[in-house]
Amino acid sequence: MENEAHSRAMALALSFMALIWISPFAWLILNAFDPAATGRLAIPQGVTLGNFAQAMSGNAGRQFLNSVYIAAGTATLTVIVGIAAAYPLSRLKIPGRNAFLWALVVMRMLPSIGVLVPMYFVSQSMGLLNNYGVVLALTILNLPFTLLLLKNFFDTVPVELEEAAYVEGASLWHIVTRIVLPLSRAGIAVVWFFTFTGAWNEFLLPLIFSRTEQGFPMSVGLYAAFGQNGAIQYGFLAAYSIIYAAPAVGVYFLLRRNMNTGFAGVGVKG
Amino acid sequence: MAMKNQINPWLASNVWLLVLGMLPAFLLLAALIYFTAWAFSFSFTDLELVGRKSVNWSWVGFENYVRLWTRKGFLDALWTTVIFTFFSAIVGQSVLGFLLAGTLRTTKSNLRSFIEVAIMLGWLLPDIVAAFLWSATTSQTGLINNLIITPLGFKPVNFISEFALPVVTIANIWKGTAWSYLLFSAALDSVSREVVEAAKVDGATPFQRIWLVILPIIRPHIATNMLFITIWTFTYFPLIYALTGGGPGRQSETLAIFMYKQSFGTGKLGYGSAISVAMLLIVGALSLIYLRLLREPK
Repeated sequence: MENEAHSRAMALALSFMALIWISPFAWLILNAFDPAATGRLAIPQGVTLGNFAQAMSGNAGRQFLNSVYIAAGTATLTVIVGIAAAYPLSRLKIPGRNAFLWALVVMRMLPSIGVLVPMYFVSQSMGLLNNYGVVLALTILNLPFTLLLLKNFFDTVPVELEEAAYVEGASLWHIVTRIVLPLSRAGIAVVWFFTFTGAWNEFLLPLIFSRTEQGFPMSVGLYAAFGQNGAIQYGFLAAYSIIYAAPAVGVYFLLRRNMNTGFAGVGVKG
Repeated sequence: MAMKNQINPWLASNVWLLVLGMLPAFLLLAALIYFTAWAFSFSFTDLELVGRKSVNWSWVGFENYVRLWTRKGFLDALWTTVIFTFFSAIVGQSVLGFLLAGTLRTTKSNLRSFIEVAIMLGWLLPDIVAAFLWSATTSQTGLINNLIITPLGFKPVNFISEFALPVVTIANIWKGTAWSYLLFSAALDSVSREVVEAAKVDGATPFQRIWLVILPIIRPHIATNMLFITIWTFTYFPLIYALTGGGPGRQSETLAIFMYKQSFGTGKLGYGSAISVAMLLIVGALSLIYLRLLREPK
């Protein structure tokens, strides 16, 4: 009996904590649909989608497209460059390749903020202080980890399958596109998704690289809007935040199961 | 080692194609190594972002590093960073994540998934959205003042200007606990039931069971967790910058913000590079400590 009371008290405490944890979200949703949002916590007088419409048009809409461009561009470029290098690295027995990849990954664990200064200089002299530059810089920063992951995925594809295909006269291109890539599809999807969310959330790099409000991705756009002094448009910003957060949150819950199987393939082997 | 393993024929006939495939990646990796080396050598110059010294810079030896110790800013920011990292990551995220992982194991599945989703939402949110949420929650007309302070008859408090560092610390706990929770959940799954039951039979109190049985078993997980969250929190930039900008004054100015302000605000790129090299050395030293903890036999 005593035990039951104990566990009920625990459940109550946990629910209370969860409520506190999500209360900022409740605030966010109430304000996003409120036509006269003031930033106070209040039940809206009416429900409107006007805030969302506003957050998808004009500069805000532009910034959404910039974010899509940066995130999808970085993820796709990273994965393509990564595959082209990871397959040879997996199949050719180049001495020291694992030590090399791990050294790069360790190097990237250290604060990236320091590398930004030289990157800024080079981009400035090459006229790349724009979204192309952001995509390129993020690709460079993401590549070490991507290479290590993809190489480990390709290592798990049995060579016998490729051998059989070769005996039947398939070319290298066919072997890679018809056998290796389909078999490591889950892993490639995970890598793509992680690079995508990383680039979608990225703030510091575009803060330094993007110069105009039309060029901002959503992270910098949101910061510029609520960091301003003066009247804050809470309804607009709440809707903008929801649109900005939706892809990262939504895709995670959609892919949750895939994600786990994808990670099972990674392992932590050298 | 060379050529002990025979190259498969479909690869052998296409070696140049494979090398060509590796080329773009190697060019980009070379750029990464080049940038890192460059950042390192900047720290020995008086390079600036704009003006005369952006072109006619000169080598100044260890002057920037001496300045780290003799001028006030760096040591203050280092102290702020240590406090921020200790309370938000090591105390907040780790302990809370561990406690949650421990209690939720025996909780009903509905409540469990509700709480899991709640803490995952914070983790998945982009940094700047989290900053906006916390800025609004702690503002003078925000959630905390509205629901707690004003109803109790107090004057509304402007939390960000009066308690900047506690606010960013709590915001970071809110945002980051999910990672520690997930890691410790997996760790506790790996502790076999028999061992814990055996300790119970031998008369160990719940506290002893945790301290003497479970914690030693999951020590590698604890060390891994510490390693990652320390590195992340020590160099964390967006949330604090968007929430307080390091202010008011310098109350919440961590090293990452100090480095950003020196490099791109004041334009002292040489000094900024010295700061990031110092950060790198500190983080590296901390990582070595954790890695030793990871390997050390009991």
